[in-house]
Amino acid sequence: MNDVVINTGSLVKQYRRYKKKEGVWGSIVSLWKRDYETKNAVNHIDLSVEKGEFVGLIGPNGAGKTTLIKMLTGIIAPTEGSIDVMGYYPNDLKNEFKKQYAIVMGQKSQLFFELTVNDTLHLFQAIYEIPEAEFRKNKNYFVELFGVRDLMDVQVRALSLGERMKMELIVSLIHNPKVLFLDEPTIGLDAVASRQIRRFLKEINEKNGTTILLTSHYMEDIKALCKRTVVINHGSKIYDGMTEGLFEKYQKNKRLIVTFREPQADITLMTKDAVVIENDSCKKVYEVPKESARDLVSEIMSYEPKDIAVEDEEIGVIVERIYQERGE
Amino acid sequence: MRNNVQKYMHVIRELFYLRFHGFTVFRLDFFAPFLVDGSLFFIQLLAFGAVYSHTDTIGGWGKGEMILYIGTFSLLNAVNMTIYFFGVNSIPYKVRSGQMDIYLSKPVSPLFRLTFENISPGSIPLIIMSLCIICYGIHMLGMALTLRAVIAYGFWVLVMTVLYYEMEVILRSASLYVDSMARLEQLEDSCIELCMKLPGIAFYGGYKVIFYLILPYGIMATLPVQRLVGDMNLRTAVYGIGVVGVFTAITAVLWKQGLKHYNSASS
Repeated sequence: MNDVVINTGSLVKQYRRYKKKEGVWGSIVSLWKRDYETKNAVNHIDLSVEKGEFVGLIGPNGAGKTTLIKMLTGIIAPTEGSIDVMGYYPNDLKNEFKKQYAIVMGQKSQLFFELTVNDTLHLFQAIYEIPEAEFRKNKNYFVELFGVRDLMDVQVRALSLGERMKMELIVSLIHNPKVLFLDEPTIGLDAVASRQIRRFLKEINEKNGTTILLTSHYMEDIKALCKRTVVINHGSKIYDGMTEGLFEKYQKNKRLIVTFREPQADITLMTKDAVVIENDSCKKVYEVPKESARDLVSEIMSYEPKDIAVEDEEIGVIVERIYQERGE
Repeated sequence: MRNNVQKYMHVIRELFYLRFHGFTVFRLDFFAPFLVDGSLFFIQLLAFGAVYSHTDTIGGWGKGEMILYIGTFSLLNAVNMTIYFFGVNSIPYKVRSGQMDIYLSKPVSPLFRLTFENISPGSIPLIIMSLCIICYGIHMLGMALTLRAVIAYGFWVLVMTVLYYEMEVILRSASLYVDSMARLEQLEDSCIELCMKLPGIAFYGGYKVIFYLILPYGIMATLPVQRLVGDMNLRTAVYGIGVVGVFTAITAVLWKQGLKHYNSASS
């Protein structure tokens, strides 16, 4: 039995961008003659995802993550290469194909803001042709899982961002998709809401066997959920392997953000290799090798801080290290 | 096939419910189309009255036929406003903003959903007012109506409603190919405004080519009225059906190919 649900071969997406010369003359000339440059948003990507996998797709802004997801869902057509999702060529936009996946875009809502989630769910029941009994069963399951029974009859515009994202997930999952594409689902959410969303996604993947492809800027999302991670930069795949291995190998530092109630003078750190990034009187940011992070936290605690936050390095730094290792 | 029809009827019903619930939230949205379109409708009648105070016929049609013509054009416009105008009109915005992504990822025709997503019950009174004007025109002409004539007239109104819809979709499909299409919408407005005042039979030469073939707004209300007053010959009927057939094909190709061109706004 073939368990591969997503398979792309040398997938390319090119965009043509118009380049206007500056000034009035440049504008006049552009009426007749235009210069275009071709940009490879996705550059010869080979990707294979098996049934039930939870794959993280990370990369800096403009890396091509969203473009790849849009091609996998058929929203846009590839320029070159082969693409197969559950046996379909996505851009044929066949309804049988669309019934088998769902996409959640953190920045594009599919809910009707003036109406309630129940209203949207009824429309989706009709669109996905979900029998009444199955619809009720799925709805009850997700409503309980997300703990949102009281919010189902509230106008969407009155919901918080975190509540709204839960609702986006419910309406996307109501037809039991085999593959779920998530494009920045935790963008803008606070830590508590992000954690809840992660817990739900984990359960959906483990209990229902839903294959999930997740793009996120937040390392926490990827670390907590994805066994496998694909790193994309400038449209090309630069890493495809175990998430643990990626962070073990390329994530070398942690960042400590410390805030104080009272203004503090400069602190002379004893922790080895700790570097000051920001040094305000009430807020200080340090970067420290991850193995020394515990020591730095202990040292800082002696100054009685108001709050300490420990953050991972940004994706851009990891990408840089991957390139350095490859000698590029 | 039957299942598909049932599914789409179910989707229309749900879209209608959603729209109705939306109207209960924003009452002004319900009444605004009626107030705006009603004003335009009366301006149209006043303009028509002013024209006929100076002349007896336009293109061979007297006052009775012209009342029928205005009533028919208003009917087409009112049906348009009630059912699909607000949905189709939102296509360029959805394309520019990337909202079309949501429509493309759902297992229902994006055009179908857009067409019926913004039904406007507030325009229904305009349909009734248009029907009243048509009845007045029939009365003025002293016509003895037969069931056959009414059915034939209804058929042509339906066919021309399809053509009106297709013209709207064609012009808005341009947003899938080019970034700016505001001028096209202005062109549409100007053509409709002109053809609301002048029946197709008043056009000659180049104007006839434009309004009978290239931008066929000239035949939209003319053909149903010609059929109702018994002025339509077989050649005109075949021509009318032919134009609708050609524009149906153009709409389908432009829309389908346009979706292949869709690049989606960067998020």
